[in-house]
Amino acid sequence: MSGASSLQPASGALRSRHPGLAGNLPLWSGGVLLAAIALASLFAPLLSPYGPNDIDLRAVRLPPSADHWLGTDAVGRDLGTRVLYGGRTSLIVAGVGMIGSLTVGSFMGMLGALGSRPVRWAVERAIDIQLAFPYVLLGVAITSVIKPSVPVLILLMVLAAWAGAARIVRAIAMQERGKDYVKAAGVLGASKVRIALRHIFPSVVPSLIVLAAMQMAAMIVFEATLSFLGMGVQPPTPSWGGIMLDGKNYMTSSWWLTVLPGLAIVLTSLSLILIGDGLERRRNSARAGESEE
Amino acid sequence: MWSYAFRRLLQSAMIVLIIVVSVFIVMRLSAGDPARLRAPVFARPDVIEQYRRDFGLDRSLFEQLGSFLGGLLRGDFGTSFRFQAPVTDLIMEALPRTLLLAGCSLAISLSVAVVLGSLAAMRPRSIWSWLSGALAAFGQSAPVFWTGAVMVIVFAVILGWLPPGGYNGASSLVLPAIAISLSILPTQLRVLRAAMESTLQEEYIATARAFGINQWRITFVYALKNAILPLLTVVGVDVGYLLGGVIVAEVVFAFPGIGELALTALKSRDYPLIQGITIVTASAFVVVNLLIDMIYFWVDPRIRQEHS
Repeated sequence: MSGASSLQPASGALRSRHPGLAGNLPLWSGGVLLAAIALASLFAPLLSPYGPNDIDLRAVRLPPSADHWLGTDAVGRDLGTRVLYGGRTSLIVAGVGMIGSLTVGSFMGMLGALGSRPVRWAVERAIDIQLAFPYVLLGVAITSVIKPSVPVLILLMVLAAWAGAARIVRAIAMQERGKDYVKAAGVLGASKVRIALRHIFPSVVPSLIVLAAMQMAAMIVFEATLSFLGMGVQPPTPSWGGIMLDGKNYMTSSWWLTVLPGLAIVLTSLSLILIGDGLERRRNSARAGESEE
Repeated sequence: MWSYAFRRLLQSAMIVLIIVVSVFIVMRLSAGDPARLRAPVFARPDVIEQYRRDFGLDRSLFEQLGSFLGGLLRGDFGTSFRFQAPVTDLIMEALPRTLLLAGCSLAISLSVAVVLGSLAAMRPRSIWSWLSGALAAFGQSAPVFWTGAVMVIVFAVILGWLPPGGYNGASSLVLPAIAISLSILPTQLRVLRAAMESTLQEEYIATARAFGINQWRITFVYALKNAILPLLTVVGVDVGYLLGGVIVAEVVFAFPGIGELALTALKSRDYPLIQGITIVTASAFVVVNLLIDMIYFWVDPRIRQEHS
């Protein structure tokens, strides 16, 4: 857990200097870790002599060794290779899911703050209902209507996560709405849409960027959870949750099949949390700089 | 206060109703025929048709919804297709175990959040501050089923201290409760720590310090009373998340609770059972949030004044 020590607040000397990348240990350590993981899964074919679905029944459930760094699974596929290729699926699904949930969330959040009274009421209730709905049950309900696949999984992730983003965007937009410059724009005859897009949305963006990193971390875990419950990426396409589901039945006899793919999940979301932490610190120090002027 | 409570209660009932009706409709749109799944594999079409009649699936969607809602008013959740037993009995058997598990997880995470979060706020550069940051980051990045699996391997398989799964008294609760509490801890820890940090800056705390009151007493008695309020809100939001975590943990640990029941029900398209479980979980969420609002009302005199 070398990365965790960087979660401490930066020392006063570092913080008071100009908020650059250099003084922001969480931001760059998280960035380096994430880049390494992304590059490794992108160049998986160069890093591994095996294919992700190469079955070898003479090498079933072998523990980690020089030939198979992370061991092999129940049908002799190389676990390390599957984890690398699985990273592609997991990262893409989480990324698209994050963008989708932030888009829907910001739209709903803005509506919830700036819409007419009934619209605001409807958005609030929609957020309440969404938060009251256990997402695992939502997942099962939807995958029983439509066959589980990657687009369905992304839809599910957006459905489960938009309300969190909407809450935050709504809170910021409500704060901003009361400020003088927004009222002035209204008096000058700017339309509601123009006020929302040109005046209020820019103040939402800094929080949205921090939220993007945090949501992406949550999405990595979420994708893995749904795939682990069999509602996500379908076999034989490797994804981190799916690989763990394959290993679930051998949990007590072949530990590497569940522990090692999970480690990939933990490291990836940890890197994203570090990035989010670093971005937040940078935003806070930028804000502190503003108020000094 | 009572009119406020009543209004909130009506709103909550509406939310539960909307969720229940949408689950009802979604389930019936779904692929998979409960009658075919229940009947023997090579059953003749007329046998399957008989099952369909028994389940009441031959009637129109409207009629089915009507009799379902009518039953609800009488407290009757219907009969499970798969288990051929009243849904109420099945839920009542599993629910106490799930509630126990959820309660233990919440108790663990709340105590850790309060103690560790306060210590970290009190001593910003100590080991406590580091530990609370590390634990929050870890809890956020590790999925419940992974921490669960690792703990089963270490404590059940290698050390043999605790059972790997199932339900056999209190010892079966330990591992799943820890796994779940780790996943809900991060937000609670961050929120309490931030609230405690700002509370410790307040003037009444400075006054208490000037009076020479013991600093532990200041943090854990004087400051905690205010710092704990935001934590209450977080617990309300977490209940939905907690239920999700409980479902996943029940699968990993083969714990016979609501989550396992829900997945079984879904696999066999057991409509009445799924509807029953949704009603119970959604109501639990809504009731907890209502309770938290009431606690707020009762704890914080400022809110009480706003509404009266």
